[in-house]
Amino acid sequence: MNLQPGKHVVVTDFDGGEGILVDLNTKKYYQLNETAMIVWKGLEKGKTMTEIVADITATYEVAPDKATVSVQRIVDNFQTYKLVGAP
Amino acid sequence: MSTDLKGWLPVDAVVVDGRPGLWWMEMADVSLTEPFFQQTVERAKMGRSKRSELFTEFEVLLQLEKELESVSPTGFIFHSSRCGSTLVANACREIQNSIVLSEPNAVDKLIARFFTDAQDGGVKESVYSVFLRGVVHALGQRRSGSEQHLFIKFACTSFAQLERITRIWPRVPWLFLYRDPVETIVSNVTDPPTWLLDEDWRVLASITGATPGEVAAMSLEERCARSIGSFYSHAVALANDKSMLLNYNQLSVPVISSVLEFFKVSPSARETEAIARASGVYAKEVSGTRQFVADAEAKQKLASPLVRKMAVRWANKPYQRLEKKRK
Repeated sequence: MNLQPGKHVVVTDFDGGEGILVDLNTKKYYQLNETAMIVWKGLEKGKTMTEIVADITATYEVAPDKATVSVQRIVDNFQTYKLVGAP
Repeated sequence: MSTDLKGWLPVDAVVVDGRPGLWWMEMADVSLTEPFFQQTVERAKMGRSKRSELFTEFEVLLQLEKELESVSPTGFIFHSSRCGSTLVANACREIQNSIVLSEPNAVDKLIARFFTDAQDGGVKESVYSVFLRGVVHALGQRRSGSEQHLFIKFACTSFAQLERITRIWPRVPWLFLYRDPVETIVSNVTDPPTWLLDEDWRVLASITGATPGEVAAMSLEERCARSIGSFYSHAVALANDKSMLLNYNQLSVPVISSVLEFFKVSPSARETEAIARASGVYAKEVSGTRQFVADAEAKQKLASPLVRKMAVRWANKPYQRLEKKRK
């Protein structure tokens, strides 16, 4: 995957698993659900897509193929909004 | 993002050049001893050479939460206005190693955003909740290193946002202090507080269920009666095993000690003595010298026919329900 959170982005946990991301460049805020937070935290730790999918399947009763689609969609969104980039 | 703000406290929520954010003051050596936080800020401004101040946007709070060591809230004090809550806050201040935040502007102005800017939930509600948590974290920072307890007394209007506040801090016990409606209205119309005169009527409109225009047109008596009636109803609806209901007419040193125990703080004999001394002076006086006088009878005598009419129409029934719930 080779992506990592941008240095211009601050994240904070909220409400038992959800989170808020702030893009300090654009001053835009993003609300992350629990799954998106797991993906974000995985990226922070430098995990691969496979490892993040494993985190999701370990937390929720979801099939790996569905989890993969979900993680990819979330990562695509992070990229679209320029919240992550190449290390 | 610069976050070297140890010893700095957010003293107000402001808008600078169209940017909403926080006004900070360097207060590392200032103890929060006055009955209200903003009185402490005024004292700090009048003291030694000019204190450093600065503006930041709210985002800085998110980073500070990760960097500043802070005390988690011990107990929350909510109230229906002019009912002894400052006395209780002052008692909390007598507990060693405690921080008491009494109606700090930054906290209550952020809560007001829930009324005016984030009524429908969604991202804004979450964002303001995160900011509120961050402001409390910054205000509750360990400046001396020995702080153990953090008590927060909110402005009365903030009680209407109890559900959002307890969603942020679900395990923190909270007190709701209230008083007979006639006595409360008399006190408020005799010396009207800012919350009843604020020209942005959206907060009171939300609390009373009226429109801002209707609130603006109300007499002070009606505005106050409808607001406190709403606070009483809110307390009836939301009181639970995390809450304690307390009527002004119950206030005494043993009862205040029981409030502290409800907050899981056991006052020592010395602290109880100090609470007794503090309870004998007028609670809102900065100097702490004006004697406290119970004035329920005097307030009842001062009540005008309009005060009584508004109390009957808007506040007495929820007050009676609250009393029933308390007992």
